[in-house]
Amino acid sequence: MPRRRTLLRLLPALLLALLAGGLPRPAAAASARDVIERTSARVLEILRTPDLPIDEKRRRIEQIAYDTFDFDTMSKLVLARGWRDLSADQQQEFVAQFRTQLALTYGRRIDHYGQEQLKITGERTEPRGDVTVLSRIMGGPYDNTAIDYRLRQGDGTWKIIDVIVEGVSLVGSYRSQFQEILDRGGPQRVLALLREKNAAGASVEVAAPPAKQN
Amino acid sequence: MRRGPARLVLLLATSLATGGALGCASSSGPEIRTRQGTLVHDPLEPVNRKIFWFNDQLDRFVLEPVATGWDWALPDPAQRGIKRFFTNLLFPQFLLNDLLQGKFEGAGLATGRFVVNSTAGILGFMDPANDWLDWKPQDEDFGQSLGWWGSGAGPYFVLPLLGPSNPRDLVGLAVDSASSPIPWFAPWFYLTVPMGGINLINTRSLHLEDVKEAKASALDYYSFVRNAYLDYRENQIHDGKEPEAAPAQQDLYYPDSDAP
Repeated sequence: MPRRRTLLRLLPALLLALLAGGLPRPAAAASARDVIERTSARVLEILRTPDLPIDEKRRRIEQIAYDTFDFDTMSKLVLARGWRDLSADQQQEFVAQFRTQLALTYGRRIDHYGQEQLKITGERTEPRGDVTVLSRIMGGPYDNTAIDYRLRQGDGTWKIIDVIVEGVSLVGSYRSQFQEILDRGGPQRVLALLREKNAAGASVEVAAPPAKQN
Repeated sequence: MRRGPARLVLLLATSLATGGALGCASSSGPEIRTRQGTLVHDPLEPVNRKIFWFNDQLDRFVLEPVATGWDWALPDPAQRGIKRFFTNLLFPQFLLNDLLQGKFEGAGLATGRFVVNSTAGILGFMDPANDWLDWKPQDEDFGQSLGWWGSGAGPYFVLPLLGPSNPRDLVGLAVDSASSPIPWFAPWFYLTVPMGGINLINTRSLHLEDVKEAKASALDYYSFVRNAYLDYRENQIHDGKEPEAAPAQQDLYYPDSDAP
């Protein structure tokens, strides 16, 4: 009898040990959907914190964005075949400038948001392994707007590579613009334009982490 | 009532002629691949850019200032109510195009929404159908019906005053404006013009910030709008669903995989 009890006690422990060993690290276990769910919850929490200065809100949200978006991949996607025409230095600068540009664009109107919720309505696995998480905004002036997040897995974590609002892709939008600029002025012009835009919009100092090496 | 069909024929003829003329040139000019995979051309880009600029000037110096005044005078909920009122009046257009696309559930929904919102929703200013019954607003027009039936978009062009379009949407616009109920009730210029004006100003006033933001963030505003227009329309045609095979996704998300 006592032996049996020990065994019984041992069994769950064994199972737990097996499970713990068999499972990947907790951070890596997050699915694409989890990433979106968690990120939107964190962002909304910041937005709704009363008495937090707007610049501080912006800074915190940008920090979250740096962890959730794969800016390296996005840079390659928006420049498409033009990416190869950039030197290694230019590529590195492009990633940094493009990230700042996105941060500025999305940080500018932060004070307008906060009343809405993001409702995840489904997900779709794309042919080559990306996952698109489908969601809708609930409430506020943009009520019922469809927002899809396309995520790609790298180093065990899912990161956002595109945001698609009512069928309009962020990557697609930037790509068609960069295409025009590349055709007319080449990589130099693209970088010059981004620097110019960022300088004009940089009312807030952004402490961006150094660009990752490719 | 008499004017409707006559106007329709005239608009159809004009748009078909324009569409046909442009259709001939459709394979030249810059190529734009939409997110869902269609290849669209912009054969008249230099001219289009000029018209686009003209429209933008008109917006900057006339429409935007007027809309800013409107926005100052009216609180946001009132503006959204007015927007809902005009959307509710589009019921014949929604119904017609739901039926044309064989969407009988959509047709029922459109009818239900119209009945509920016109009565309980005080002439459509409120949207109890959505708020209480979860009957989501939908958006159907003849351009979408044409696309649903397999018509291609044709070349992209920018119309003076009306903005981004293509032959398919120009025909759509002609049919939609003929199916608008407003001119049926009164001589068109007494009602249609002021109402159309109010709708335009009110809609613009709801998007003051959005447009400002888009202009501030765009690197090339013309191609930003062109891309948004093409993607948005395709998405509408597919009712927000992804078509079975989306070849462009290959290009958009894996640009290196099959370089030409």
